[in-house]
Amino acid sequence: MRVAFVGKGGVGKSAIAGTFCRALARQGHPVLAIDSDPLPGLAFSLGLAISDAPLPDEAVEEKAEGEEGPRFRLRAGLTAADAIDEYAATAPDGVRFLQFGKHRSSTGRALFRSQWAFRQIIRELPEDRWNIVGDLPGGTRQPFTGWGDYARLVLIVVEPTAKSLLTARRLSRLATDEEHPRRIVAVANKVREDGDVEMVAQRTGLEVVGAVPWDEEFAAAEQKLAAPIDLAPDSPAVQAVESLVEQLSEERIA
Amino acid sequence: MRVAVVGKGGSGKTTTSAIVARTLARHGASVVALDCDSNPNLGLSLGVGDFETERLESMRESLDAGGEEHAPGWDDLIERFGSDAPDGVRLAVVSRIDNPSPG
Repeated sequence: MRVAFVGKGGVGKSAIAGTFCRALARQGHPVLAIDSDPLPGLAFSLGLAISDAPLPDEAVEEKAEGEEGPRFRLRAGLTAADAIDEYAATAPDGVRFLQFGKHRSSTGRALFRSQWAFRQIIRELPEDRWNIVGDLPGGTRQPFTGWGDYARLVLIVVEPTAKSLLTARRLSRLATDEEHPRRIVAVANKVREDGDVEMVAQRTGLEVVGAVPWDEEFAAAEQKLAAPIDLAPDSPAVQAVESLVEQLSEERIA
Repeated sequence: MRVAVVGKGGSGKTTTSAIVARTLARHGASVVALDCDSNPNLGLSLGVGDFETERLESMRESLDAGGEEHAPGWDDLIERFGSDAPDGVRLAVVSRIDNPSPG
């Protein structure tokens, strides 16, 4: 499967995406987790204690004189798949992890060597090797300006608040793209009351494929920079994400 | 005064901004609330409602579409493209992402 988690900032994309990756990997499926947020947070939710994981300089080189394309690319002969095998971090349960990397300039405009290579890898990854699960930047500015093109399934994380619902409607519109046909669905998070899930369905117009309850233990894991699936494996929220993995099983790559 | 509220997504920027804006207005200050987020939700927290929050076009888009040679002054922009929120706060949206093409 090729999945992108999107949604308003703070709705729980990283915590759900990290748990989703681990649960999928535990079933024996190959998982590549990608964090394309320049304010990265997915590593912690996967159970990796790193905050910044750029590709090493040796993996990336400047394009040759007269060569087309951006200034930096993977070194000659290194395919996207090789780059993952060689350089992606390995999280618990065998999840491989690739990160766009933090903003390193005050204007946020300059992409660095590793960031060019990140974009190339996402573009060129083979279809059938990994289940690709992406944690995309919050809000509406970045997800569909190139970042989410790889995705065949867009999971919009929505909490039952007016702002999150409005953001979800905008994201649903932005994700609709004839050039990149994809399934767009909602995952309700921080569900507290009967009727919350129904409200998310009604006010986004989307199919709700998962409902994650409000859960103190799940929230506490985030505060401790730990993976919810390690810290609170039996919590209702982790169980709900495991059900979501089941729900989407027909999309898996074995 | 000129205040900018910043922070991580979901930490409460919009809610805080709206309460500060309305509280200042209730104390008699003349307040312009600027939504500088590309995913503008400030209208919801100020209390103008779902429909008006979505209706408000961004000033940047409106200007791009209008093809004006000189940018009007800020007060003119806020007058033309803003919206009235409760307690006399004037709300304006600076930019919004409305299509997925990179730019």
